[in-house]
Amino acid sequence: MAEGAIFRIAGLGKSFGPNDVLRGVAMELRAGEVTVLMGANGAGKSTLVKIMSGIHQADRGVMMLADAPFLPATPAEAMRAGVVTVHQNINDGVVGALDVATNLVLDRLNDTGRGIFFNPRRVRREAADVAARMGLRLDLSADVTELPLADRQMVAIARAMAHEPKVMILDEPTSSLSANEAARLFDLIDRLRARGVAILYISHRMSDIRRLADRIFSLRDGQIVGRFEEKPLDYEGAVNAMLGRNLGRSGIASRAASRPIFSAEGLLISPAGRPFSLTLGAGEVVAVTGLVGVGKTRLAETLYGIHAPLGGTMQLDGSVYRPKAPAEAIARGVFLVAKDRAQTGIVPDFNIYENMSLPFLPRFSHFGVARRRAERAKAREQIKDLKIVCRSERDDLATLSGGNQQKVTVARWLSQPSRLLILDEPFQGVDIAARHDIAAKLRESAADRATLLFLTELDEALETADRILVMSEHTIVGEHRSAEVDMERLLADVAGRGIGDAA
Amino acid sequence: MIFTRRVLGKVGLALLGASFLAPVAAIAQDKPAPFDNPGEVDIALVRYLSTGDFFQAYLSGVEAQAKALGVNLRVFDSRQDAALQADMVDQAIALGVDGIIIQHGLTESMKEAAQRAVDAGIKVVAFDVNVENEAIPQIEQSDRDLARLALEQAIKDNGESWKAAYVYVAGIAPLDRRDETWREFKEKYPGIEEVAQFGTLDNPIANSVANQARSVLTANPDVQVVFAPYDEFAKGVKIAVDEAGMSGNIKIYSADISTADISAMREPGSAWAATAATNPAVVGEVSVRALAMLLAGEDPGQSVIVPPTLITQAQLNEQDIKNMEELSQKLPQFAHADVAVPAWMPLPPRD
Amino acid sequence: MSSDLVGKPVTEAQPSGGARLSLRELAIRYGFLLLLAGLIVFFSLATRGFASPQAAVFILQSVSITGILALGVTATMVVGGFDLSIGSIATSAMMAAAYVMVVMEQNALVAVLVCLAIGALVGLINGLIICYMRVPDLLATLGMMFLLIGLQRIPTEGRSIAAGMTMPDGSTAAGTFSANFLALGRHRFDFFIPDLVPASVVVLIVLAVLIWFFLEYTRFGRMMYAVGSNARAAEFAGAPVKAYKIWAYVISGIFSSIGGILLAARLGRGDIASGNNLLLDAVAAALIGFAVLGAAKPNAFGTAIGALFVGVLLQGLTMMNVPYYTQDFVKGAVLVIALVFTFSLLGRNAR
Repeated sequence: MAEGAIFRIAGLGKSFGPNDVLRGVAMELRAGEVTVLMGANGAGKSTLVKIMSGIHQADRGVMMLADAPFLPATPAEAMRAGVVTVHQNINDGVVGALDVATNLVLDRLNDTGRGIFFNPRRVRREAADVAARMGLRLDLSADVTELPLADRQMVAIARAMAHEPKVMILDEPTSSLSANEAARLFDLIDRLRARGVAILYISHRMSDIRRLADRIFSLRDGQIVGRFEEKPLDYEGAVNAMLGRNLGRSGIASRAASRPIFSAEGLLISPAGRPFSLTLGAGEVVAVTGLVGVGKTRLAETLYGIHAPLGGTMQLDGSVYRPKAPAEAIARGVFLVAKDRAQTGIVPDFNIYENMSLPFLPRFSHFGVARRRAERAKAREQIKDLKIVCRSERDDLATLSGGNQQKVTVARWLSQPSRLLILDEPFQGVDIAARHDIAAKLRESAADRATLLFLTELDEALETADRILVMSEHTIVGEHRSAEVDMERLLADVAGRGIGDAA
Repeated sequence: MIFTRRVLGKVGLALLGASFLAPVAAIAQDKPAPFDNPGEVDIALVRYLSTGDFFQAYLSGVEAQAKALGVNLRVFDSRQDAALQADMVDQAIALGVDGIIIQHGLTESMKEAAQRAVDAGIKVVAFDVNVENEAIPQIEQSDRDLARLALEQAIKDNGESWKAAYVYVAGIAPLDRRDETWREFKEKYPGIEEVAQFGTLDNPIANSVANQARSVLTANPDVQVVFAPYDEFAKGVKIAVDEAGMSGNIKIYSADISTADISAMREPGSAWAATAATNPAVVGEVSVRALAMLLAGEDPGQSVIVPPTLITQAQLNEQDIKNMEELSQKLPQFAHADVAVPAWMPLPPRD
Repeated sequence: MSSDLVGKPVTEAQPSGGARLSLRELAIRYGFLLLLAGLIVFFSLATRGFASPQAAVFILQSVSITGILALGVTATMVVGGFDLSIGSIATSAMMAAAYVMVVMEQNALVAVLVCLAIGALVGLINGLIICYMRVPDLLATLGMMFLLIGLQRIPTEGRSIAAGMTMPDGSTAAGTFSANFLALGRHRFDFFIPDLVPASVVVLIVLAVLIWFFLEYTRFGRMMYAVGSNARAAEFAGAPVKAYKIWAYVISGIFSSIGGILLAARLGRGDIASGNNLLLDAVAAALIGFAVLGAAKPNAFGTAIGALFVGVLLQGLTMMNVPYYTQDFVKGAVLVIALVFTFSLLGRNAR
């Protein structure tokens, strides 16, 4: 099975203090193939990548590159040997102050024997070569900071290609890309594959994996627990292996709303959209899906009082609802778990209980003095309910993993009864286990309120919602019941008018 | 020839002047050039220090004498920025002033700037800063005399043997000169024992010095005399002495004076016994007069010294002096100094 | 690394106080307090008079003004801002107090109210400029600092204000500092020992306890920390972010003006001063406070300890006759050590 593999790992082990992060990983990468590595947060993916790219050194085991031992001491050494890594943070891969051309040939500028003088014409010529080879159609004189994320990502990858690598590691490259942008990235990866590069692709996104994978390895607790190499690939099996349990879609028993809690008539949220209506009932979980940039976040924030609607009326519990600020929305029982928790959710200097009680401090206060005992008791309850992994409710948020941080932000808004709970991309950057915990808790507690989820990933919507609304061009354009969903019609709604590549 | 109204007017005025105002015109004509036409004379005051009553009073003296002469005065204030002060001299040169008074500053930064002014044909005098230039007279308030007067009074009040605390910050020219006198006195009177030395120019100075003095007095409760040869220091020490409740045991001797100092010295039971001072307004006047002499082609001398006056708490109380005006009125030796006064020099009005 | 904690056994939340601290954590948490205690012991042994109630009270008195300013700037740091204008607000308040009493002949109450109003108004303007005009905090308050340094000179045309001063128009100011006002700087309360604790120390302690309680125990204080740590998250949690920021600057302005009132009461006059030393000392105290108890963020208790730390050091060094010019060095060294401690040992990026 290992024959023909250009890169091989066997018995790789790594410990940080008492933590065995990698416990004998064995893996092969083949030239001209995309090998997908799946693993929950904390399974050891990042450590493995860091060892392969020379940032960390393994404690045990061997790595072989083209039948020669591969033991990089620094990232530069790994790169020279032919293993390049494009990290998750795109901006690590490009230099913002320089133009595209210079970025594309940046590594060559550092070559010794290059001469002292910077020759813009030569740089432009070499950059054009690189771009042509990679099929990039970009303005080479543009500043990198002016490019959209996806283009920056491609520049970073093209730049990495300048080394003629044998192995390329892509660490969650689509995590901040829209479906459309991701599709362009996949074309680029196809090119790399055709050029005979062995690609290690790390991702959570099933749509990526379905599109690209030639083989899948599942990593759990520092070991490879599943190898899926025969086509058609067993995606369910890979997920199950990585999680060590069966998730599936079986838990959903689609519920129907009993009575309406929230309704909107002729709501217009953007000059680019059209008025639409919306009714949300008690006990139901409704997902709004659609491509990136169709106004999902705008709608979520409009309901939460951050933006004023351009037209239409809203009603909550039978009376007019027109919040001018989040404080008013909160007072009416409309809560928002906002997108991108690092920016809008967590307070990094606060511990768990302080983060949870943040919007409800008036309820936890006597004459303005906060009652910490009550805050902490509530937080302990939530930690237990949502299975948050921590030492105590006084842990700083910075010490928690991404999934647990997200659980804290969700727990914050579940800690008090709400009328309408809105969650904007609550599963972003969260491993499947945490996602399952959050979704289960949402459904379990949904009885007395309306729950509205904004999700780009259709899988996530199908897995958690009773009803799916589809947004396109700042308007709700379609409605589907999860129980009897017609995938083709759903995808057509998502794709809107003539946009064909909704994943 | 066409007689315009203006020409007629001029002729008329000239006739009038010749007939009725002959004596006045004669005096005006007695003034040497360029002061026969003072409205065309521009002088600049380039300051290093400006915060505090002393510098304010100095400025008022400069303004009063400039007004008496009828010349135009420009004031440049570098606010303790040595480099900026040098730039301001260049600025004054560029503006084409006739004379410059450099008030305080650092030798190193001002020496070359002053030379550039002299090279540009501008007359320069310097107050309290040595710019090491033969062509530039020094206006001095004789810091050695100031310190000497205050210390002589201290000897008179306390005998020749006492424990002293001394407030001093090195590197400030007038304080350095006062320090020399202090050292001479310590040699001359071996009974004087300096148990502590402190000082700071952190602003507000009095507040910072008070904090230090409190520490010093706590550590050395047997101090009898504090020599604080700068009134901001003395104010700070007095605050500390009051706060420590030691005003019965300690006497403060200082240099310089202001209205606020007078009221502090006259507070009941005040520890501030005496100060020696030159009237800063007089020093300001003398600075302008010396510059005027230079401009008129006369030589005020390489060093123009304004003599100081000793002012004791007893004097202030006896004559019931409450502020600087009354001090000038009741101590005439403080109000005026007949320094740099050629016959043609107009003086500011004296009261 | 996303999650080192996954895979560890999920422990139940531990009861409060049950967590055992490692030696390193102990050092981080109590290191600075230990150092402070060590300093006190050292100075008590090295100098006589250090270990006395009077000396202890004096240390508090010497840091009371900068301490109060530091507490104010702490409030702005908590919301993620900064206030460079505190020093000049203090000196402006000092000038205003003197002007109200000496020139306008008003009583102590009016003077205090005017000062507080000035502080609140300047803070409000700072807050509005920062929140609504979107000027970065450092730049807005820097501008305000310069503005105030100039503004405080305008009413008296650059003169310091003291009873009996000469006004620009030549008249003499008739008012005096009211005795009640001076008592703010000079009165001492009995505390076991008669006449021990000065009013300014009482004000410092009261304000420190107030702001500490406000920041740590009220929901408003908690929200201010949230605003400083992640303003967007605070906004999404329903907090009126701009209002909290503006309030922080108003608090800072009021605290600074209280510092200015105490300064005027101690000096008994209105001194033209930039207040930059007050600013620097106050900021140093607030930054040293980051290191106290391993907080790694602005906090009132730390600020108070930071001010005390600097006070103890300076008092001790002055009592040991260490020259003044080493004091800034010592302050700077303490600050650098505290910052290194905060940012490297605590491993956090607090702003």
